[in-house]
Amino acid sequence: MGQITLDKVTKRFGEVEVIPPLDLEIGDGEFTVFVGPSGCGKSTLLRLIAGLEDVSGGQIRIDGRDATETPPARRGLAMVFQSYALYPHMSVRKNIAFPMKMAGVPEDEQKRRIEGAAKALNLTDYLDRRPGQLSGGQRQRVAIGRAIVREPAAFLFDEPLSNLDAALRVGMRLEISELHERLKTTMIYVTHDQVEAMTMADKIVVLRAGHVEQVGSPLELYRSPRNLFVAGFIGSPKMNFIEGEEAGRHDARTIGIRPEHVSVDPSGPWSGVVAVSEHLGSDTFLHIHETGLCDVMTVRAGGELDVHHGDRVRLSPDLSKLHRFDGQGLRIA
Amino acid sequence: MATQHSRAAARVMISPAVILLLGWMLIPLGMTLYFSFLRYNLLMPGANPFVGWENYSYFLSDPAFQTAIVNTLLLVLGVLLITVVGGVLIALLLDQPMWGQGIVRILVIAPFFVMPTVSALVWKNMFMNPVNGLFAHLFQALGLAPFDFLAQAPLASIIGIVSWQWLPFATLILLTAMQSLDSEQLEAAEMDGASPLARFFHIVLPHLARAITVVILIQTIFLLSVFAEILVTTNGGPGTASTNLTYLVYAESLLRFDVGTGSAGGVVAIILANIVAIFLMRMIGKNLDA
Amino acid sequence: MARAVTPRRKAINTALAWGIGILIFFPILWTILTSFKTEAQAIADPPLFLNFDWTLENYVTVQERSNYFRHFWNSVVISVGSTLIGLLIAVPAAWAMAFVPGRRTKDVLMWMLSTKMLPPVGVLVPIYLIFRDTGLLDSRIGLVIVLTLINLPIIVWMLYTYFREIPGEILEAARMDGAGLRSEILYVLTPMAVPGIASTLLLNIILAWNEAFWTLNLTAANAAPLTAFIASYSSPEGLFYAKLSAASTMAIAPILIMGWFSQKQLVRGLTFGAVK
Repeated sequence: MGQITLDKVTKRFGEVEVIPPLDLEIGDGEFTVFVGPSGCGKSTLLRLIAGLEDVSGGQIRIDGRDATETPPARRGLAMVFQSYALYPHMSVRKNIAFPMKMAGVPEDEQKRRIEGAAKALNLTDYLDRRPGQLSGGQRQRVAIGRAIVREPAAFLFDEPLSNLDAALRVGMRLEISELHERLKTTMIYVTHDQVEAMTMADKIVVLRAGHVEQVGSPLELYRSPRNLFVAGFIGSPKMNFIEGEEAGRHDARTIGIRPEHVSVDPSGPWSGVVAVSEHLGSDTFLHIHETGLCDVMTVRAGGELDVHHGDRVRLSPDLSKLHRFDGQGLRIA
Repeated sequence: MATQHSRAAARVMISPAVILLLGWMLIPLGMTLYFSFLRYNLLMPGANPFVGWENYSYFLSDPAFQTAIVNTLLLVLGVLLITVVGGVLIALLLDQPMWGQGIVRILVIAPFFVMPTVSALVWKNMFMNPVNGLFAHLFQALGLAPFDFLAQAPLASIIGIVSWQWLPFATLILLTAMQSLDSEQLEAAEMDGASPLARFFHIVLPHLARAITVVILIQTIFLLSVFAEILVTTNGGPGTASTNLTYLVYAESLLRFDVGTGSAGGVVAIILANIVAIFLMRMIGKNLDA
Repeated sequence: MARAVTPRRKAINTALAWGIGILIFFPILWTILTSFKTEAQAIADPPLFLNFDWTLENYVTVQERSNYFRHFWNSVVISVGSTLIGLLIAVPAAWAMAFVPGRRTKDVLMWMLSTKMLPPVGVLVPIYLIFRDTGLLDSRIGLVIVLTLINLPIIVWMLYTYFREIPGEILEAARMDGAGLRSEILYVLTPMAVPGIASTLLLNIILAWNEAFWTLNLTAANAAPLTAFIASYSSPEGLFYAKLSAASTMAIAPILIMGWFSQKQLVRGLTFGAVK
């Protein structure tokens, strides 16, 4: 079981309120991602759930029981830290065994679980090494192994992939997703990378300055962002925002259109000059100037499109995918 | 990361150290200040009347005081000059590729671990002695007249001994700092056409500036208090030729048993040291934030 | 990274560096050699370098005449004792400041350091009088107290810089893993802190062993450690170079060896972390 409820949880550091009263429900077995720009309070929120920080007000319930005052060790949660936080003086085996040793798990059971985790995480050959002798990806797996063997009610991940290089990050992302499929345990995952959020989450919580901006599945957030912030944060490349006359024509203060919903079309209503075209093979991203709509418009076009710097192109938006926002930046339904 | 509970525990854990140091600082300091305004001589028991600034005017107008101040400054500056310049040069040399670097390093830093009384006595007797010292033998071999270092140039000789003790410290710190210099910087400068000399002045030396400052400040703190080396070599003499402030205060208090004047001298020494300390603390404090 | 240089260049560097190294080390070497000579050979002209009759008699004489080992033992008790007591007080303080830093932690640290800047001569008189009146003069316990206090700031600082390098996340991980304060200290903190504590211990024993202001001023025959005992050789009493050398060699040998082991920590400890 691993159902976590935050009820008006507040956190203040001195005078500064970093998390204003916040309500959130995380269902059992759900993969929830907290995402937001740095300083948005997502890590603080995770640490409040972990019990590493005291809440200033409100209540945290784990499986219906009030855990607000429970010390971290007794909340039944496991955490994977950004720096992995492996114990440098212990072998991989001892690192993984540590939480079980603390919990007084019998030796043979410890052994069984270590071997299970090592096998699942491809660590069998490294069990007697020290963390210092491992690569970044291996350390990451040890940290995950240490979390798994506790069989926790929920896993907490604090930006676990940010110290890995790009290729490894993609691999670990898949591994963590697979782990979730296999274990079906609640996972809460903090990241500033919206790609990680989109690819892994069942439920995304977008945070800004301690406020929850929107909660929903990746596709909900993609299809109907509640406001300008979420619209700009979710999706890559970023949504194009257009203000002024063109927006007025759609009865909105601001309209947004994603790069993938604009196409190069000789009969399109918009036009501009190509500043940079990035040919990725599968796609081409065009950065277009002089549209008269916004500074730079990003457009995703077909992979083998033959346009270059300085070419003038005409563009056509898919009007059914247009997002409209009012003066407060809120979505107009 | 802290919770309320851990803060309270932290305070309890810090307090013994704070209380002890506070006592160590305030009680003797208060007593020194108090004594410095009394006529108080251990050889003349009885009332110790309050005499205001008399001890200070006596101490400050004593010709020995002026000599001591000059000697203190010469000692500090002389040693600093020798150790910093020597330290930079030796560090520069030790940073070059060579065979047996580790062993040379060990040889160079060894004098720092020799206790002051030993180094002073070894130099005094086995090197500087005008009859049996190695220098005397050397001078004789060269056909020169023997030179009585500690009688004819007492302060310079002490500067030499103290420099020998502190040269390793300066070298070690400067070498450590030098090794943290990114070699790509030097290679970039080389590509830019900088000569070795230019590289030294424009890249190495600025990189060392901070370490040199630290060396100067820390050594100054210790050099202001040089004592054992003087005590066992010259006893401050001949006359007051090699008396520094520390030795003068010692002589007033524990040789002439004049507690009042000695205390006044102690206060003067504290003020002097504090001027240096303020600069040093700023440097270290800045580093704390980094 | 050292760049490849020509063997010629490397040979010149080597010769130069070894020359300077041996020159600087020479007084120590000469002391050690002299300690194995007879008094007559010690002052021979021209000086004898290696071609003399090696003897151990000076070591025997020094012990017989002056009960050398009592002073040696005083040095051990005073330096080790003051360092251990200092650690006992400083470990909790440094731990708290490194892991539970408050708004005033930095000020407390700086203030502690400032007590180290106090010139000893400024408090010589009161300490001397207090010691005289409490019977601590010329006692080992008295010196242990003084050396503990004067080295406490350095101990706190060194430990603090070491502890601060232990990432806080590791301690949090231990807490998440179910470790209570006791297990956290026992299984995680202590093993990680041991190297730092060991080098602090080493450096402070060295500093206390060589301390030569308080040891000279507060002791006489009884509690005199080696610093003070060696100083008694300053009054000329005939030919005694070989014996002085023997006494000196024994006084500096243990510290020289410890010092060589701790050279890396030395930089850090003596610059209060300002140079690493």
